Amino acid sequence: MAFFKRQQKVKFEGGGLVLFQEVSQAMAAEKILKAAGYTVRLVAPPAELRKGCDLAVEINLVEQPGIERLLKEKDLAYVSIDPIKIKTAPLLDIVKVTDFGEWIMVKAGNMKITYEKSSGVIVNVSGGGCPDIPYLHAELIDRRLDEAQRPKDLGYTLCALNLDRAFDECLTLHARGDKT
Amino acid sequence: MMIVAGTVPIKDMPLTMGTVALDGDFLTVDSKKIPRTQGTGAMVSAALATTSYLGLEAPYAMLVGDKGEGKGSRQLYQYLIDHVAELSPSVITLHYWLPDMGQTRQLCAAIEKCEKRPIMIADAASMYSAKGAGLAETFDIFTPDATEIAFLADPEATHPAYIFKHLFETDGSRAPELAETAYANHGAARLLLVKGAVDYVIKEGKVLATINEPNVPALEPIGGTGDTITGLISALTYAELEPHEAAIIAAKANRMAGRYAKVTPATRVRQIIAQFPSVFKDYLCQWSDVCCVKGAD
Repeated sequence: MAFFKRQQKVKFEGGGLVLFQEVSQAMAAEKILKAAGYTVRLVAPPAELRKGCDLAVEINLVEQPGIERLLKEKDLAYVSIDPIKIKTAPLLDIVKVTDFGEWIMVKAGNMKITYEKSSGVIVNVSGGGCPDIPYLHAELIDRRLDEAQRPKDLGYTLCALNLDRAFDECLTLHARGDKT
Repeated sequence: MMIVAGTVPIKDMPLTMGTVALDGDFLTVDSKKIPRTQGTGAMVSAALATTSYLGLEAPYAMLVGDKGEGKGSRQLYQYLIDHVAELSPSVITLHYWLPDMGQTRQLCAAIEKCEKRPIMIADAASMYSAKGAGLAETFDIFTPDATEIAFLADPEATHPAYIFKHLFETDGSRAPELAETAYANHGAARLLLVKGAVDYVIKEGKVLATINEPNVPALEPIGGTGDTITGLISALTYAELEPHEAAIIAAKANRMAGRYAKVTPATRVRQIIAQFPSVFKDYLCQWSDVCCVKGAD
């Protein structure tokens, strides 16, 4: 007797929901995101998160910034992107600044950028764990803050979003002339 | 065999695997050049520096190009899921990749099929997905920083960007308390090395050691200095030190290498990695019973 081993279907556990006003928007978004290589699925949002239609797109929450950028590029409006677990905290917005004398380090969540006060050149990027961070590290190092591309425009993940918050604070501090 | 797995920021680099070697300023794996920069490159470099000093087999790296889109990460997950049982490493370290809770679940199930269960170490987003999938306790070692220990303590968070403010403490002084919460919420590996101004080695909720010397504050801004700790602890565990001993020595060696390199916030991580052989030569015997090893002179 022959036994056939059936490939076990991988259950998608994304952790994030894109909410829309219209069912058709959710369906269009699913198509666009899948075509771009994202793993997504159409789901009914939990009652607490129903802001528009009763159809949402489940995404890997870590990929939120890349997905937001793609939907904007495709001019597809959405209501919000939220964690599925309703008790989850909102995006962390605490920023901490450390003065190292010649350098300033700005930390936002799990990400840090350090720049030289006199020149505004980014000398280091640290923290995080998503695959766009080593790429952003390579792209940002040795560039002046006013020349560098924004991490949120280059990256795809929540780590990049946190890095962008730190970058934004660096721009503010440097523009203020904090060069002492 | 020690497997070290993660992504590198090289566009379209296919899944590449093999024993790691050093070639000037680069690592080579299956004839591909990998920069020794922040992320998996730094982690693997530190592991290689340690195995070279100890005269052990070099790490077996599984690397793939991924700049954040996730395609390479998914390939790497799938390869490990399909092949880890036949490879049956004694240590497996998972590092940078796009966290995927479903694939992490499959990978942990596949690891259980290894002939002998390997020591399982996770840092970076591999730690995020392990915790997010509720599998933290499956792992032997996590190496979180001050933010990441808050993430491990938050039972609902699947990424450090979404953690409650009351848990977020940037100076790390609440690490033991947060670790206790993480253990209570099943969000921690058996052993935690919490990296910060003070490094804490914590086993099942109990602080075994604190390391605060030498004090080198400029290590924090340098990208890759957490990755090197993960590489060190991986290789020292592969050398059959107990996980807590490996963690203590890794924390001390990283700090001392920073001192030797006379780091500033603008130092590159490869300058620190270059100091590990000197640090081992001067201190490994003092810090452990490893006093006479091949390659030490």
